[in-house]
Order: sequence, then C-alpha cells, then structure tokens
Amino acid sequence: MRKPPVSLTLLGVFAALATLTPLVYLLIRLGSGYEKAVEELARPRTLELLANTGALVITVTASATVLGFAQAWFVTRSNIRFATVFAVLAALPLAIPSYVLAFSFQALFPAFSGFFASWLVLTIATSPYVFLAASAALAQVDPANEEVARSLGLSAGQVISKVTWPQVRPSVTAAALLVVLYTLGEFGAVALLRFDTFTRALYNAYRSSFDRSAAAAIALVLVVLTLLVLWLESRYRGGFTQTKSAVRVIRVDLGRSKTLAEILLSVVAVVAVGLPMLSLVVWAFRGSSTADFDRILDALAGSFSLALIAGVVILIFGLAIALWVTRYQSRLSRIVERSVWVTHALPALVVGLALVFFGSNITPWWYQTLWLLVFGYLILFLPNAIAALSTPLAQVPKSLEDVSQSLGLTRTKTIFKVVLPMAAPGVLAGFALVVLTVLKELPLTLLLRPTETNTLATRLWGATEELAYAEAAPYALLLVLLAGIPALALNLIARRSLREVQNG
Amino acid sequence: MSRSLSSFALATVFALSLSGCAATTPESNTGSETVDEAQSLVLYSGRAEDLVQPIIDQFTAETGIEVEVRYAGTAELAAQILEEGESSPADAYLAQDAGALGAIANAGLFQQIPADLFDLVNPSFSGADNLWVGLSGRVRVLNYNPEKVTELPKSVLELAEPKWQGRIAIAPANASFQSFVTAMRITEGEEVTRTWLEGIKRNGVVFEKNSAILEAVETGQVDAGLINHYYWFARGAEVGAENMTSKLAAFEPRDVGNLINVAGLGILKDTGATRALVEFLLSETAQRYFVEQTFEYPVITGLEAVEGLSPMGDLPAPDIDLSDLDTLEQTLELIRAAGLI
Repeated sequence: MRKPPVSLTLLGVFAALATLTPLVYLLIRLGSGYEKAVEELARPRTLELLANTGALVITVTASATVLGFAQAWFVTRSNIRFATVFAVLAALPLAIPSYVLAFSFQALFPAFSGFFASWLVLTIATSPYVFLAASAALAQVDPANEEVARSLGLSAGQVISKVTWPQVRPSVTAAALLVVLYTLGEFGAVALLRFDTFTRALYNAYRSSFDRSAAAAIALVLVVLTLLVLWLESRYRGGFTQTKSAVRVIRVDLGRSKTLAEILLSVVAVVAVGLPMLSLVVWAFRGSSTADFDRILDALAGSFSLALIAGVVILIFGLAIALWVTRYQSRLSRIVERSVWVTHALPALVVGLALVFFGSNITPWWYQTLWLLVFGYLILFLPNAIAALSTPLAQVPKSLEDVSQSLGLTRTKTIFKVVLPMAAPGVLAGFALVVLTVLKELPLTLLLRPTETNTLATRLWGATEELAYAEAAPYALLLVLLAGIPALALNLIARRSLREVQNG
Repeated sequence: MSRSLSSFALATVFALSLSGCAATTPESNTGSETVDEAQSLVLYSGRAEDLVQPIIDQFTAETGIEVEVRYAGTAELAAQILEEGESSPADAYLAQDAGALGAIANAGLFQQIPADLFDLVNPSFSGADNLWVGLSGRVRVLNYNPEKVTELPKSVLELAEPKWQGRIAIAPANASFQSFVTAMRITEGEEVTRTWLEGIKRNGVVFEKNSAILEAVETGQVDAGLINHYYWFARGAEVGAENMTSKLAAFEPRDVGNLINVAGLGILKDTGATRALVEFLLSETAQRYFVEQTFEYPVITGLEAVEGLSPMGDLPAPDIDLSDLDTLEQTLELIRAAGLI
C-alpha cells in the first residue's frame, strides 16, 4: 500500500471536515430553535410547498429524461442528416445558466411565470445532462443486439423499449437522478418565475423573518430530501455493460419520418437556444444606449476576481484530493471523497444559510468577508474540481513515478516535478472549468457577498427584481459568452478524454 | 524533504484562515469611538442603490468621509443586524419602514441621536427616545390603469374581494407594504388584517419591488397595484406625465391605504462620522435632493414638495403615530402565515 505524502492527507482531511462543519452548525441552530421550526413546518403552507416542489421535480425529470433520451437516440441511432449539428445544439443549453434562461423568456413574454414556465425552463436546462449521458451510453452499447432483434421481427419501437433502453437505463437513470437533485436545489429560475418551491420559500424566510429558525427548518427539509435522492442514486450507481471493442454505428432508416424528426429536433433547438439568445441580444441592444458601463465593468471585475481567487483555493485542495484518490487509494481517501460529494449535492442556498449562521455566530471575524464566500464555493465546487482533475492525473503513467522515485526523488518532489508538469494541460483546463463555474453562481453569492462586491449574476438579479430588462440584459449576455460557452466547451473536451481513459 | 513540504502545506492552510482576519476592518464594540475611525463608516441601506448612492456620494464629496454601503431589503437587514448584535459592522441603518427601525430600537442597538439634530424633524416622523429620525416622507397610493379600472375602490380593504382576483399587484417582500400591513393591524385589528391578507393572497399578483409594479401596470400586465407615490412621479418626470398610461388614486379619507410613512435612519455607533451623516441627510441639500430627485416629501420645515403633489397636511391619511409601527416581527409572521412570502 503506497502511503501518500502527509501534505496531501492533511489538505484532504481538512477539506472534508471543513465542508461538514457549517452543516453541523445548521443542525445545532435548528436544535436550539426547535419549537419555532416545528411550528413553521406544521403550517399548511409546507404541504403546498411540498406539492409544488414534488410536482416540479417529477414533471421536469420525466420530460428531461424523455427529451434527452429521444435526442440521443435520434442523433446516434437514426439516419437523420446533420447529426453532429443536432448533437451540439442538444448540449448547448448547458451554456446558459438556468436563471439567465428564465430571464430571457420573461423578457420576451412578461407574463411568463408560474408552474408551466418553471417546468419549461428547467426541462430545457436539464435535458442536456440526460442527452450527454444517453448518447455516451448509446455509443458504447453494441448495436448488434438491436440488429438481431430487428431481424427477429420486432418493430422499431419494440427494439428501443426491449433492447436499447435496458442497456442504457443505468446511466440514463443516474443522469435523471442528477436532474432530480438539480431541480430540488434550483433557486434563481424558480424565483424569477415566481413559483413557490422550497428553495424560494427558504430565501423568503431568510430575508423576511427575524427568527431565522423558520429558515433553518425549511433548509432541513431540503437537506433530508437531498440525502434521500443521494441514497437512491448510490443504489443505482455502476452496473452498465461496457464493450471495449470498436463499435460499428448502425443507423435505423426512418424513411419518411426522417424529415419529421429533423423538424422536431430543430423546433426544440429554436425554443431552447434560439429564443433565449435572441431575447438577450435584442434586450442588450435596447439597453446599450442607457447602459451604465462603469457598473458593468465593476461587476465584471467583481465576478472575475472572486472566481480566480476561489479557483486557486479550490485547485489546491482539489489537486490534493485528486492525487490522493488516483494514486494512493485507501479507505480514508474514499471516505474523504464521499463526504465532499455529499455536501456538494446540497442546494447552494442551504449551504449559504448554514454559512451565514456559522459566520455571524461562530466566526464573526470571517463573516461578510471574501474568504467566507470562497469557503462556500469550496464546499460547492470541490467535487467538480476533483472530477475534472482526476482524469488528467490518472493519465500520467505510474511507471514514470516509479522511475523517478528509484532515482532518489521523494514522493512529494515526484508530484511536483513529474506528475503535475505532465498533467499540466488537463490541470489548467480543470482550473478554468472551476473558475467558470464560480462565475455563474448566484444564490450563494447573494447570501454571502461582502459589502460593495457585485458580480454579473447579482447585478442581473437586482435588475430583474425591478423588471428592468434592458438593464439586466448586458449582464446576462456576458454570463453566457464569458462563462457559459467556454465552460460547455471544456466540459465536452473533458468528457471525451474521460471516455479515452475508460476505454483503455 | 516531505517534512518541509507538509509544513508548507500547513502554513498555507493557516495563512488562508488567518488572512480572513486581515481582510476585515476591525470594528469596535463600544458606543463611542476613537478619532481614527471617524473617516469612514458602514451603512446598511434598505433603500435601493439607484435612489441612495447619489446623495451618499455627495456626502462623501462634502465631508471626505468614505461610506461603504450594503444594499439589501429593509427586513433582511434588520434581521441581519439583530443576528449580528453588538458586533455588527454597521454604523448606521437606513430603512424604508418605521417598523424595522422600531425593532432595532427595541433591541437596544441604536445610539441616541443628538437632540439638536433630532429636533430638526417633526416628532411625528421620528421614533421615540431620539433613537431614529425620519428622512423623507412617502404616501401609499393605488396605481391603476384607467382603461381597466373604471370604478375606484373606496377602501383598500375592498381589494380582497373576489372581483379583484388577478387584478391587483403587491410586493409583500417590500418594506413599505410591510409597514402598511402593520398600520392595518393597528387601525383594523389582527383578525381583519389576517382575513384581508388571505384575500389578497388569492387576488394578488406578486412582484419583488414597487418599481416592478409600476412597470407592470404601465405595460398593462396587471390592472392596478399598491405602491409608494414617488415611483410614479419619478417616471413621470422621465417620460412626461402626460405620456403615462397609469394614474394614481387615493382611497377615502383616513383609510389605512393612504398611509404616510417615512424612510428613516438610526445610528448604531455614535461617532463623528455618523453624526455628520445624520446632519447631512437632514440638511437642506439632502432634503432638496429627496424633493427634487426622488419626489418624496421633506421632513424639515422650509421646503415645499414638488408641484403636482398635494401638501403633506392635505393628504387623507389615517391617524397613526409612526413609532407605534414597531411590531414588524408580528407583521412578518402574519404575511408569511398567509402564504404571501
């Protein structure tokens, strides 16, 4: 058993403990305000919230799964033309943060709000996850089974339901559970569209009550629901059949339905990507004459400085844990990795609230400062960093490390002189991905930002509260262009290299 | 070798945590202040940045005192100050709701405002015991679209009736609405208020801010809304009053829907800087700003409101002492119990 350098162990354990602490404090806070919390949860309003949240989660997951799988099937298994174009278009909504999506629709249709609006926006925002998982799974499943089924007389629909679907079900289900978690924790879009879910109620309770035990109670409900979903997800994890052989692509001839399928996919792309971008561009143009460029530049500077600082901090801890997990796998490293993932899954608003409590009561010298916010970003995005860094680090051959150590270098020196330089491009890409993810973040920043710090996201939020669409649009457009699109590009590249690693 | 690197890692970790201390400005917890703190102050403002920052900038230009302003909702900031307690970084708190100021005063977190400054303002616009002072007056009005609303409601209580379903816009997260609900609790009692809130929950279209309501009524998205008067006048000055689609109306005399309220200021630390801020905001320069730039009512004598606004004394307002509006917490609970936020 190779032992990791002490520095890695220390950084890893510190990260795991630190990310759990604010949540422990949330529970403590709840314990002391117990009666208020029970009173809050016993109100009929809680049932209304549960119904709303439940309905939204169920419908969005269903429609995102159907849409994502359908798109993936058409793109990988049918003979539609321009399949690559449609593949890119299907993943493109990932470049638009969900609250920007909500804003862009509302700017076009001011009455766009409520359940239907939330369902539509979140389906658009989450179906790319299912699409990417399904198309990756479909690409790895041997189509020979489907060929056999067809030759035995099954119709196209039966082939899909009896042969294709069962083989990709595990990874699609995993993606669907991701959609569930995402919808549960979604705040920006549902708040803009004025639909009352638990997250919106949490935010309102936070800013409209003096005794924040009510807010803590709602936060607890969200934590319980999230843990439930995580537990379900862990039962489904793994178990997909993977073929390492080169897979021939067999495309089903759709015949006359081909054009119909292409039209359908185009309509989806127009609604999901075309309309929002059009809205942003038109409104940004309208707002260009009255735009306060100083304010925009200040928000840009605020966004980037926060993101870069957070990126560096997250990179240090992320590298430590990724190195530990990929090269010195042990029971402790697995525990650390698990715990970091659990806190990551919690809604950002819950993490923010826990840190507000923690900051103002336990560590007042840290409260309202840059570092508490960066700490919050660490809790939320450390797993993203670990995932992004694991692949490039895993690709560095272990034999090189052995050679280096046999030549007399210590483990730590080997990391700095051999592993990191070789993994540098992947590490830099991982760093960039984390920076871009922090750039797009909204709810945590709203709760924890230091006085006088503004980001593109918070400025957009403030403008939408006043229905000032022209003022909001430049921020929205910048978020898509500077953060959304580069992040999507990096994400797709990372997925490709992950597949290369998995296939040997 | 590895020992030095692990100590480097340890050092990094500790440095990161300790630098959090350095990043904050040290705040003293006592009431009175030392000289070197006098050149800057931290203001929590429940009023919007667009309305407040210009006059704050003017304050800095005139006195050289730097002001760090934290903008957020009035109730949220009140809750924050209460949570922070004595170690709050805030030196002063500007609120849109007398109730929020009353809550902080009741918690014993405000310092008394010097009598010579406090007495500049009519006592009916300020809190008890010199703990907070009014800065500008505003009146609640009904903003309506004359094409859609042909019969004006006599009392704000009528808005909970079924015929107003989906036609009335409100901003329950906004401090001015919360003030108005507190006033209703005082004049009409808890039960009537509770019933009214439940009716408004059925009828109302919820927005975040008064400015959003005005926009919605102007564009025909909703028939009417409850806002503060100055939003309409500010828009009228921008586009021309004759070009406005919507109009303003008052309810019958002494109806609680005509509430006169103030935006007010309280100081949490008694320093040269905070006294200078109070003095400036009650000076003719600042009061003239509130009259001419934001279209509110002045609180000092000697200044007239803008043309088009009825003099404050002529307004059909209910008879309420603003310092009685200090039970914001209960109001918030009623509003939340009705499911409005």
